[in-house]
Amino acid sequence: MGHHDASPPKFKPFDFIPFPIEISMESAMHEKLTAILEKSSSPDAMRWLKEVIESQQKSFERRPFYYAFSGVSRHFDKRGGLEVSEEDLSELNKELSGFSIGNWDQFRLARVLLLLVLGGREKPVFLETVAALLNTADIREQTAIFSAFPLLPHPEELVETAVDGLRTNIVDIYDSIALNNPFPSQHFSDEAWKQMVLKSFFIERPLHRIYGIDYRANANLSESLSNLAHERWAAGRWVSPELWRSCANFLTDEMVENITRVAGTDEPGQKEAAALVLAGDEEGKLDHIRDQVKTFLDDVADGRLTWDSLGEQL
Amino acid sequence: MKFFDSHVHMVSRTTDDYQRMAAAGVTAIVEPAFWQGQPRTEVGSFKDYFNSLIGFERFRASQFGIKHYCTIGLNPKEANNEKLAEGVMELMPLYICKEGVVGIGEIGFDDQSPAEEKFLRIQAEMALEADLPIQIHTPHRDKKTGTIRTMDVLEDVGVDPGKVIIDHNNEETVKEVLDRGYWAAFTIYPHTKLGNQRMVEVMQEYGAERIVVDSAADWGISDPLAVPKTAALMKERGLTIEQIEKVTYHNPLAAYGQSGQVEESDWADAEGVDPAALFEGNTLLRGGMDVETAMSQYLIE
Repeated sequence: MGHHDASPPKFKPFDFIPFPIEISMESAMHEKLTAILEKSSSPDAMRWLKEVIESQQKSFERRPFYYAFSGVSRHFDKRGGLEVSEEDLSELNKELSGFSIGNWDQFRLARVLLLLVLGGREKPVFLETVAALLNTADIREQTAIFSAFPLLPHPEELVETAVDGLRTNIVDIYDSIALNNPFPSQHFSDEAWKQMVLKSFFIERPLHRIYGIDYRANANLSESLSNLAHERWAAGRWVSPELWRSCANFLTDEMVENITRVAGTDEPGQKEAAALVLAGDEEGKLDHIRDQVKTFLDDVADGRLTWDSLGEQL
Repeated sequence: MKFFDSHVHMVSRTTDDYQRMAAAGVTAIVEPAFWQGQPRTEVGSFKDYFNSLIGFERFRASQFGIKHYCTIGLNPKEANNEKLAEGVMELMPLYICKEGVVGIGEIGFDDQSPAEEKFLRIQAEMALEADLPIQIHTPHRDKKTGTIRTMDVLEDVGVDPGKVIIDHNNEETVKEVLDRGYWAAFTIYPHTKLGNQRMVEVMQEYGAERIVVDSAADWGISDPLAVPKTAALMKERGLTIEQIEKVTYHNPLAAYGQSGQVEESDWADAEGVDPAALFEGNTLLRGGMDVETAMSQYLIE
């Protein structure tokens, strides 16, 4: 273990790969995903899927493709999860930063593999088919489609669809876009990003699972989050300490007041959040709360307390 | 006791209904695609309706711990708008293979017009192709003739009667429906269909084999607790628990289970209501509804 410096570490820059990668049927990503599904599901189901993929690659036909996409439910185990090792996850993450299949099931992965076939078609066919699938999709089908977005071509054409998808009232669909999905951070405008973070907070989704949450933080979002916190405080309602994560680099006078209030709050996670903000404060604007959050500051210095660990414990 | 209400139109019902159904033991339901009280004028309306059956309504039910399945089909009334009906036939293949779609329905006759027969045949063929059960709506007017004619058409197409649930039966239709090998469903619906005393009498005569009890609760004066209430009346009138469980749970499960899309483990293994699935501070779950009061009047006339 290294030495303990009295001063907190600098705010750690976010590990982010801002350019999309090419995913094709021959790519390492495709190969890994296929291997994971193969080891998780029945040989019969896998044989069926491979046959469909092969024939659709040879000659793409829309109606059989639709049948196959919904017909996944007739071949794979509806409650069947995936056998995913830590190594699998980190290999996938190496291929595409922020991409995770940690909470996917067999249906979702099988459908994503089918969608990769679509990615190889000419643009109009690809876009029309994605739209038609989405227009008639059940909940699990929708989650598969949105989960595939970071792997599909023409992302600029899919942005509006993803933004619209976030207007859903159904949490699984919402999560498939907002959480553990690198698509929004790569392609959303600041305005769309802001709406997503605000809604995620509003419907109490775990913000630490939003990929790019630190990278995409900005002054305007920070101000909106501050307003939201004030509304909640006025109503006597709980404010998730994760909210301050996107505000940590924008220490306006109002924000300093907010964090001061948070540092004096005894609910679980509040002082921790204040310590995390303080740890990134290079201008000493929050020096006055140092004593209040001292123990947590040590945890931050040790790496035991991070925004992610805080999010996970909430 | 657990109940399986295999015919109930939840898009027309409130969260209070869901809450009372769950409290009374209704564990799984089938929502048939049907007429919405007024004719639709665009095919797109069917698309959005089917989407709600496989989407939001399924989600809404899950918030009350109820497993929601559906049947997809064109009801007989709207089969008479042939142009629209053709469009719906184009649309249906996109839905019938989906997860949780347990049959083609509710289809059948209303006026018993030639157009109705045409689309009954097309949809019966579709069910054969997709290897799905069929849920039949029998007409309110001239019911006996319409029921017999429905069975004639289905047999002409080559459908196996064991994969067909004929609904809205009464004392006049039940014998032939059972004799020809179909499942006979009875809708306990106040005033216009069948009261539950009559249901008890039907069972005293015909037993419980291939008989199904449902509510068909919809936008009319109807009762989403019809199945548990009828079970209570059956118990009071001396039917055995085994018979009661058969008609209110095991039989509909077996009939629609032939789709491969519904099985007991779907809810037996369920973890119950997930409070995390609630939304926007507006939880759909609320406390306080007194189901005991609702269940204390279990006679439906």
